Amino acid sequence: MSVNPMTYEAQFFGFTPQTCMLRVYIAFQDYLFEMMLVVEGVMLKKLDAIPGCKISPSKIRKCTEKFLLFMKEHFDKLFSKMEEVLLQLVLNIPKNVLLPEDKVQEQYPYSEEEFQALQDELQQLQQQCRAEAVLEQELRAELEEQKAVKAELEKILQCFDGLENICREHGAGNFKESFAFLTQSSKKLQDVLKDVEEKSKKMNQHDQLM
Amino acid sequence: ADGRDGPALAAAPGRAQVFSTVVDTFLEKLVAAGSYQRFVSCYRCFYKLQPQLTRSIYDQFVSQLQASIKEEIQEVKNEGNLEGLFSLLDKIVEEAKDREEPAWRPSGVPARDVRSALVPFLLRHRAHLRRALQERQERSSSLAEAVLAGRDSIAELQQLIQARQQAWQ
Repeated sequence: MSVNPMTYEAQFFGFTPQTCMLRVYIAFQDYLFEMMLVVEGVMLKKLDAIPGCKISPSKIRKCTEKFLLFMKEHFDKLFSKMEEVLLQLVLNIPKNVLLPEDKVQEQYPYSEEEFQALQDELQQLQQQCRAEAVLEQELRAELEEQKAVKAELEKILQCFDGLENICREHGAGNFKESFAFLTQSSKKLQDVLKDVEEKSKKMNQHDQLM
Repeated sequence: ADGRDGPALAAAPGRAQVFSTVVDTFLEKLVAAGSYQRFVSCYRCFYKLQPQLTRSIYDQFVSQLQASIKEEIQEVKNEGNLEGLFSLLDKIVEEAKDREEPAWRPSGVPARDVRSALVPFLLRHRAHLRRALQERQERSSSLAEAVLAGRDSIAELQQLIQARQQAWQ
């Protein structure tokens, strides 16, 4: 017969029922012995006060032992019956009963695999968050760069607009055209110069060959 | 405390009531066994000498023993807050009365049992992370839009500048 350790009851009561019963048994037994000693003491004292008494203390002791033995026998039998009832009906938690503090056990019966999967999911989510944070940083950095670049470009544009305004102010709408004409002409001159250079080169070569 | 409810509730006695009754019964039977007749038959020599004193000694013995035992029981009840625990347990048992299957019990392996206790926290954490991730993703996506728009407007500016350059050629 296996001994029921009653650990669930111990979780609830804060003590093991069997331990409690043992404590009570020992206390009761002590009281019984104590009372018997008191009884004996009273009798001995009385006998002391009677002169010529034929009853010796050892005789009284034998009486006490007799009574005590009898009492102890009944005491043990009765106590063990009481203990049985208490352990079965009072200091016990029926098998179908779940203590409120353990509610989660039935709400979330996760197996080891399910638990691991949940933890893995959490790790993955954390990694994703970190990755998003890195991405966010990079995007913000590019935005800063863009701001700077845009500012530069807009400055250049402003320069051009400035030039045009000057042209307009000085009533030389043609300034642009003449400037463009100038640039083209200088280009044409450059082309002509190049031509001339080439031709003279050729002539020199021809002369040398002659 | 009187454990009896009104006539409407024919409830089984609560644990506290059973406890009291069982202890009282124990005492009763113990005293019955250690009867005066039994006492006298053991202490016959003394009884013959002092019958009245024997009676009073016996009475004191019984009442002292009962008092000590009752006191001890009360101490045990107070120390362990048994009255409160009994009525709480009665309530818990009553609430589970329609349930037939055996309930969960600790497996003896704390690492295993703590899993279910941790799950609600992990689930909360997961919900929080999912929310945070979504927020971050929304932020990144709107930042990405801004970056793309920025690239477009830079390209536009570059084109305008090129156009100006051409015009001045």
